[in-house]
Amino acid sequence: MNALADVSTNWMWIFSVVFALIAAAVWVYARAIPQGGASWWVLSVAVVGLTLASTLAGAGTASMLLLDAAALCAVGLILADRSPAARRAGRLYLTMTLAAVLCLLLAERLAGGVKPVYPLDQVVSALLLVGFALKLALVPVYFWLPMVAENAAPMSLVLIISVVDIAAFRELVHFREAMPWVFEQHQAVWLAAALLSMFVGALLALGQKNLRRLLAFSTLDDMGYLLLGVTVGSEIGISGALLGAAAHALFKLLLFSAVGTAENGLGHAVTLADRGLGCRFPRSAAAFVVGALGMIGVPPMIGFAGRWRLYLSGVAWGGIWLGLAMAAATVLALLYYVRAIHLVWLGPADEHQAVSGEPKAVRLTMVLLTVGVIVLGLFPAWLLAF
Amino acid sequence: MRTLVVIPFAALLLGILLELALGRILSRRWKGRLAFIAGLTAFGAVLALIPSIQGGQAVQFDLGWWDEGVGLALYVDGLSLIFALMATGIGSAILLYCITYMAHEETGTTRFYGLMLAFIGGLVGLVFSANLLVAYLCWEIIGLCSYFLVGFWYQRKEAAVGARKVLIITHAAGYGFLIAILLVYQSTGSFLWTSAEMSGAFTGAVFFLMLIAAMAKSVIFPLHTWIPEAMNAPTPVSALLHSACYVKAGIYLAARMYSFGGWQPEWNSAVMALGCVTMIVGALFALVQTDLKRLLAYSTISQLGYILTGLGLGTPAGIAAGLFYCLSHGIFKGTLFLCAGAVQHATGTRDMRQLGGLEQRMPGTHRIWLVAAAAIIGVPLTNGFVAKWLLYSAALTSGQGLVVLLAWLVSTFTAFYILKATVSVFYGRLPDELRGQDIHDASPTMLAGMGFLAVLALVFGLAPQLLMKWLVVPAGQGLGMAWPVEVTWLGLQTGAMTLLTTAAAGITVLAFGAGWVFYRLTRRARSSDVPVFTGGDPLPEGDRVGAVDFSELAGTTFGDAYRLLDPDPLYMGVWRGLQAAAGWAADRARGLENRAVLVWIVGALLLAAAMWIW
Repeated sequence: MNALADVSTNWMWIFSVVFALIAAAVWVYARAIPQGGASWWVLSVAVVGLTLASTLAGAGTASMLLLDAAALCAVGLILADRSPAARRAGRLYLTMTLAAVLCLLLAERLAGGVKPVYPLDQVVSALLLVGFALKLALVPVYFWLPMVAENAAPMSLVLIISVVDIAAFRELVHFREAMPWVFEQHQAVWLAAALLSMFVGALLALGQKNLRRLLAFSTLDDMGYLLLGVTVGSEIGISGALLGAAAHALFKLLLFSAVGTAENGLGHAVTLADRGLGCRFPRSAAAFVVGALGMIGVPPMIGFAGRWRLYLSGVAWGGIWLGLAMAAATVLALLYYVRAIHLVWLGPADEHQAVSGEPKAVRLTMVLLTVGVIVLGLFPAWLLAF
Repeated sequence: MRTLVVIPFAALLLGILLELALGRILSRRWKGRLAFIAGLTAFGAVLALIPSIQGGQAVQFDLGWWDEGVGLALYVDGLSLIFALMATGIGSAILLYCITYMAHEETGTTRFYGLMLAFIGGLVGLVFSANLLVAYLCWEIIGLCSYFLVGFWYQRKEAAVGARKVLIITHAAGYGFLIAILLVYQSTGSFLWTSAEMSGAFTGAVFFLMLIAAMAKSVIFPLHTWIPEAMNAPTPVSALLHSACYVKAGIYLAARMYSFGGWQPEWNSAVMALGCVTMIVGALFALVQTDLKRLLAYSTISQLGYILTGLGLGTPAGIAAGLFYCLSHGIFKGTLFLCAGAVQHATGTRDMRQLGGLEQRMPGTHRIWLVAAAAIIGVPLTNGFVAKWLLYSAALTSGQGLVVLLAWLVSTFTAFYILKATVSVFYGRLPDELRGQDIHDASPTMLAGMGFLAVLALVFGLAPQLLMKWLVVPAGQGLGMAWPVEVTWLGLQTGAMTLLTTAAAGITVLAFGAGWVFYRLTRRARSSDVPVFTGGDPLPEGDRVGAVDFSELAGTTFGDAYRLLDPDPLYMGVWRGLQAAAGWAADRARGLENRAVLVWIVGALLLAAAMWIW
């Protein structure tokens, strides 16, 4: 228990740095490729500020409330786009966020720091599961994520997925430490939710044609692995989940930056019907390839440092069969990412397509991030020593 | 000794960093020279390690931490050295060849040389690592380098498609290696394969999972189908992939498993069976190819089958044969690919139907090709002959007559398809399309790169005991297999058990000699027309049996076998099934998004109910 507490406390600083880096990259990107008007800038600063404050506050009600406030500001980022589809997505995200906040606050209130008696313990467990399933977009209550992914500006999406969502995941780890009985008593249900998210997320991603939706479902898929690490609850599982979450944040930034840059150049949403974008957007293509392979934990990117720990915790808990199931889900993920890479980015370009290129600042950001995730993957001991 | 172990990594890493830092300043030729110097330095350091592994000794030490609790533990024994020498030695020859070959490439040479050096470094890291998790890291670095190198011309569809297949098959199978490592850790609490508890953790499941990963890397049936598609890479990449750095990684893993202890005798049959099937499948498919590089790719599959069969025998002589074969294959296959690259470089095609008569225009390449072709067929005086002989001898002394029979059959197939390639490319008339072209021999640096390898094929054919004494036997000792050196000049075996094989080989050599004498005596008569019965109408004047006739004949003869032995339709079926299921699920999910609030309420209730019940 103490060991777990140490693990997540040490991670407070790592997450703070990761969020700050992501915010810097998002703002550099937004300067080069506008994401919205003045309100977007105000809201994005609020989202980052509140999330950082929540992270630095550690655990507890104050931290939860700060993060909830950040999520509500993120709703504003979506609503900043005044199209009917964006407003609809924003409303859905708002509904889900409010429901999640309600569930989690109620669960914390009912538990009050100690394990309540039956049947209250069951109610608390159910509220926690539903609350986090809504926040993290787990199967079967993930619907806000693909809708938001399709309709929000790319950097708004990065702030929602890589900052707010990942901070919410850190909150889950705190609950794992504070209320271990919720996870130990219902380990089968948490594991089922994790596996369901892995497989359903991967299968649905494979069925997508729009790249933003594909990336949204890949988040569902990856959350399954992270949840598995938290559920198993060993030190290696928790550190794997936290490392995986930090890596997820960075890779999603790379992926959405690449897609956003291509969309900006093409003037339309990137789908599997687009061809050879690597010829027009070479750095975006490289960023997408590194981001995609990093997401599934291909060495030497930093994603592997999280993944091997998660696999180990899976093998330790469920033996060879759980390990093989995790590998099978990863192969599905490999299939959908590789399909996107090879249909959209590699191969000959469509000569008749008029495009504008990659802004210099965006190019530099993507190159630095790409190099960063590889160097960290080659020397993960540096990150963990931090 | 520790410094010598570190130098290859330092030289290759420095090479990569300099390529990246000076990429905009250096000319394409200087980038090539820089990479060659880095490779050569690494090769020199690995060569200097040879004395330290004699008698089954090993150099081992820790180089710090890679990750929390995961050390960079290094262990260099005879087996490691064989593979490191292949990677750095053959790799350096290939890099020398690249200097001219890549000089005409407009863009991407910095990326190319950086990846080539990382590729070589990855294999050295894999074979030097005592930590299995770090070995997996290097395993995947090799995989990623090959993906990017095969897809070097990523703007071309065929290159991108080839790269995709490499990644999917080898990376997916690689999870077998990872899960096996984690199972070992679960049992022993250590990632070190050198730990005393390793033998207890090396269970059937661990063996099976590692074997799957090794099969995909080493193109063992049915996970071999990626390699012909990878032929759209620049030729030096193909050469490195086939000879030294990629397919050999799986062979290393298969051999290394003997070091773990706890190897079960019944596993030998499985490994041997896989090896035999692979050598047949590769040779059969090589027969029908009309693309020179694809033919060589299928021949790699077949040759890897030989190597695995040798390892599968499980006896000291069998493992020695497998390792000698592995080294020999690296040398002659590297040479053949570089020659194929020189031909493509000069003529712009590798389609054997459009080639011919290059003997006059490319005499240097022609001679080097002949040496390597003789070696792969197993002609005496070449290393290929010694490798095959050792294998037959080891199989015979183990009582595996069927293996010998199959290996002999495949050897005849090998002779057929290599002769087909030789005749189609170098002999006969120069096709009309090539007559107007300025076709000239490979440049001196290209000839030097492939000539160096061809000379090695002859040196180790004449004096195989050099390799045996200094590398193969220490490697066997490192695996716990004591085998006295029973090979002398030309590969003659001196052991009591192998005298019969020696006698048989003697008769074969005599038969070759008699054939040559007969040919010389009757040569004069060739100038006059000889009525040849072709089974029907005579062939048109000046016609000859070419690659197409040969391929069509093989295709007709073995038609059913090709359908039966090609696993790609099965993989395609699985992919289509998955795609259909994914499409169906995505449509349903899209429909539910329109009723999102209702669905989330139902979903939330389901989750809560599950929590209540379990």
